[in-house]
Amino acid sequence: MDDHLIQVFSNVGMISFIALSAYVLLLTGEISFGQQAFFAISAYASGIATAMWGWAFWPGLVWGAAVAGAAAFLLAWPTLRMRGLYFAIGTLAFAEMVRLIFEIFRYQVEIEGELVGPDGSEGFRGIRYIFESDISATQYMLIIYLLLSAVLAFLFAIERTRLGAIFRMLGEDELLAEMQGVNRTYYKVMATVIAGVIAGIGGALYAHMNTYIEPKIFNVMLGVHSLAYGLIGGLGTAFGPLIGVGLDIGLLESTRIFTGYRMVVFGGLVALLLIFRPRGLLDEAAVHAIKSLWRRFLPAAQTQRSNNRAPD
Amino acid sequence: MLELDGLTKHFGGVRAVDKLSLSVKEGEIFGLIGPNGSGKSTTVNLICGVFPVTAGSIRFAGADITAAQPHQALAAGVVRTFQNIRLFSNLTVWQNLWVAQNGMESRKSENFLKRWLSGDAPARRSVEELLEFAGLIGRRDEYAGNLSFGEQRRLELGRALAAKPKMLLLDEPAAGMNLEEVGHLDQRLRKLVERGVTILLVEHVMELVMGVTDRIAVLNFGQKIAEGTPAEIQNDKAVQEAYLGGSSGS
Repeated sequence: MDDHLIQVFSNVGMISFIALSAYVLLLTGEISFGQQAFFAISAYASGIATAMWGWAFWPGLVWGAAVAGAAAFLLAWPTLRMRGLYFAIGTLAFAEMVRLIFEIFRYQVEIEGELVGPDGSEGFRGIRYIFESDISATQYMLIIYLLLSAVLAFLFAIERTRLGAIFRMLGEDELLAEMQGVNRTYYKVMATVIAGVIAGIGGALYAHMNTYIEPKIFNVMLGVHSLAYGLIGGLGTAFGPLIGVGLDIGLLESTRIFTGYRMVVFGGLVALLLIFRPRGLLDEAAVHAIKSLWRRFLPAAQTQRSNNRAPD
Repeated sequence: MLELDGLTKHFGGVRAVDKLSLSVKEGEIFGLIGPNGSGKSTTVNLICGVFPVTAGSIRFAGADITAAQPHQALAAGVVRTFQNIRLFSNLTVWQNLWVAQNGMESRKSENFLKRWLSGDAPARRSVEELLEFAGLIGRRDEYAGNLSFGEQRRLELGRALAAKPKMLLLDEPAAGMNLEEVGHLDQRLRKLVERGVTILLVEHVMELVMGVTDRIAVLNFGQKIAEGTPAEIQNDKAVQEAYLGGSSGS
């Protein structure tokens, strides 16, 4: 693979994390414009850990995701008392707040005669762990996709359990879900934290691939895109948001065909889909249909699956 | 089993429910009737924790559930149905019953790995029983949104049962049903009582209320104006003035 292609695939992989993060909240019926905040928090936290504290990459990544999860937990308590539109505005305000804090956040130490660390709006340079450890771009891409597969496996496992059912119940009719015994606050906080951690993994990967991060990368457009990916690709399965990312980053941004018109094409695509397929290309009905088709063509597998299958 | 004591709910200046006291005994079907806006649905909402109570108390099976959240009321055994049908219309009949069962189970009883591997076999079996009770076996894979009105009502009832209630609050279950369907509902309610479920029935359809209930309380403007057996209520002067007299009885 040539370098450009590796770059494109790595970007698609990293952005997929934030798209999946928004997707988890969309499942529970909440629209968040603020997932970029957790992406940013983890990018900074993991960068600080590896570049300034001398940690290795993996502990740094876990630390970044954990800090993002903790931030999500802190955000969840006040904002989940808000519903619908108010929650969306609340998350947007939170994300902007986080970004503005990073604009003034200075924390630098001298390493080998050079100042390293976040320098307010000048950004955070020198997150060079990956390059210093001789990890090639191809290897890093594999790391990204390894982690992405793990997150996907986790989300598919959730879909099979009552947790997945509860998320979708909350998404469809919150009051009815509560009347069926769902502790709304508990599960919404849980979804927010899961979403924060997933975005955090992406943020840590992003910081280490680019070696340089600055607050303005994590502006609201990143959050808007991450929402749009789920809406384009579909909310029926975790593959949906990936399709959205693939279309946008893989097709629109990375090929030169739409240079300068990317946002026009992307915006138009979102508008069309919201009219014709309000829950995305792979919505619940599409997933249901694909699964029934699958079962019809695999009658042997069917007997085994029917004993063993959670609802679609 | 259920005791309301001085239950009061104000919405701004409106006294939707005003010092309502009543007691429902275990195993009975208790009717709650009254003209539109008399506070019946608000009472149901208060009992299952949708709104906070302004004053008074709610006791259920010996425990105080006045301040219970909806999921806590449900865990105590109070389950409701809705005046307007409320189903997950994008899920199939089977899935609606499946999730209803899942919602209520306590988190602690969940052995994640074991349940995941077995695909929840016991839960599946009880969904089958519920399908049979609701008379919807043949419609199991239909989306709930595509069912007929009567079938949706039956699914609601089956779903309420999935939570293994000690007490069912039925908010106008016969609304919009024809007489034949009302007759079937009558039989289903009696079957429920045989299973040991206590029922609080909020209803406008007098054929059902007068036929099936053991006792009735009548609300008007949030206050209880009468309580007694169906025969007593039919002969009550205050009730006739407030309700039956004005609206010819059905």
